[in-house]
Amino acid sequence: MNIWFRQHRFALGAAFAQVRKAPGSFLFNVLVVAVALALPFAGLTLLDNVRPLSEQLSVDPEISLFVKSGASREQARALEPQLQQILAGRRTKIDFVPREQALDSLKEKSGLSDVIEALGDNPLPDSYVMKLEGFASSADANRVDGIAEQMRLLPGVESVQVDSAWVKRLAALLGVLRLVLLLLAITLGVVVIAVVFNTIRLQVLTQREEIAVSKLLGATDNFIHRPFYYTGALLGLCAGVMALGGVALSLRPLNTAIGEFARLYASDFQLATLPALGVLGLLAISAGLGLVGAMLSVQRHLARLK
Amino acid sequence: MIEFQSVSKKYSADALALNDVSLNIAKGELVYLAGPSGAGKSTLMKMVAAIERPTSGRVIVNGHDVGNLKKAGVPFLRRNLGLIFQHQRLLNDRTILANVMLPLIVTGAPGALAAERARAALDKVGMLDRARALPMELSGGEQQRVAIARAIVNRPQIILADEPTANLDRAAADKVINALRAFHSVGVTCMISTHDDQILDGATRVIRLEHGQLVDGGAGAAVGGAA
Repeated sequence: MNIWFRQHRFALGAAFAQVRKAPGSFLFNVLVVAVALALPFAGLTLLDNVRPLSEQLSVDPEISLFVKSGASREQARALEPQLQQILAGRRTKIDFVPREQALDSLKEKSGLSDVIEALGDNPLPDSYVMKLEGFASSADANRVDGIAEQMRLLPGVESVQVDSAWVKRLAALLGVLRLVLLLLAITLGVVVIAVVFNTIRLQVLTQREEIAVSKLLGATDNFIHRPFYYTGALLGLCAGVMALGGVALSLRPLNTAIGEFARLYASDFQLATLPALGVLGLLAISAGLGLVGAMLSVQRHLARLK
Repeated sequence: MIEFQSVSKKYSADALALNDVSLNIAKGELVYLAGPSGAGKSTLMKMVAAIERPTSGRVIVNGHDVGNLKKAGVPFLRRNLGLIFQHQRLLNDRTILANVMLPLIVTGAPGALAAERARAALDKVGMLDRARALPMELSGGEQQRVAIARAIVNRPQIILADEPTANLDRAAADKVINALRAFHSVGVTCMISTHDDQILDGATRVIRLEHGQLVDGGAGAAVGGAA
């Protein structure tokens, strides 16, 4: 076993010994750091669950055009060349949806086939669904509105709907949430570093004599610093485990409530814990924050000990 | 082995601890550093261990110029020194064995080897049977013998003992001095500061300091031989 490995093992042992000396104090510090970490972890878990949902939804604008109910199939079909003219030069997919197909789709998706059968005649009109690509900015959104307005003026058109607005709003909201979460994570990261900084400061003060004697006996700065680094990283890691555990536990009652709500929309949406890689990443970040706090504290306070 | 060349040390404008001190200590010598309190004995010893640096002049220890030694080099200089302090400075929350193992642990020595050598060092000072005790369970004399064991455990070339018999009764002081003389007899260079004249009886070389100035024993060296 080489000296480097042996000294790290000794430092880790010294860090655990320090924890054993004052387990209550260590646990309290872990709890404080865990509370600070739990909030961004919970937010990240929420975003991670909502992100795939929003990605499944199309952000590209979709225009639905409904033909007047009295119009014949030929009249409805005759609109297509005019639509192509309006959309000329743009990447667009135009789908004609006959009223029969629309009715079948409604029956299938709504689960109200008996009620629809009872209506007798098909109340739905022929329609066109047009998916426009390459419209992402707010300026593009205005252009889509202009296109929809042109279509409304065509003869035989009952109404025109632009369907992307709410998806865009959701995407924008998620963007804002991401930014808020980032700012929250940075703020609470600083809190974590401050807590670890103070914890290590107190340890340095209580071990002042041991540090001084070790230096006189030939200990290098690295030998003296390492146990504090391990203590800081250990504190961060334990707090990360506690925070993730807390978030995972809180998902259970939350999912019960979400499940009831989602069933109203025929969905089985549930919040899931982060994937293993995400968990490992967050634990590494937690330990890293603890390490940074310890390093800053050690650099500042040990420099004062001769 | 240890050389002071016109060394002065000022802690502040009006606190001159050492004033133009020059002396040589050869390998294997046993040197006593005598003088009243405040004479500069401790400052001189601290310079050998690179705890203090000279304000002017040069301090050479094992070929290293202490004044120019980089911070990273200090621990390696100290690993060749055995330091004994007036107040022992044992770690109260560790056993005697753990205290004596510490100089080896800081160098990265394996735990088993450190324990073996610590037991051997404790055996040499007659404290092996107290290896599992805590420092506070020992008398002052016993604690000082443990401090000697800690100083010799890494087989240093030089032992520096700063007032090792202060606060000890005569019998305990004699045991401590006899232990140091025993290590000197096997070739270790020893430098012992004291203001106890009884210890100096029969000494071959005594360096006397007063008010930071060398008044006797700076030049020449009677190499080897127990005092």
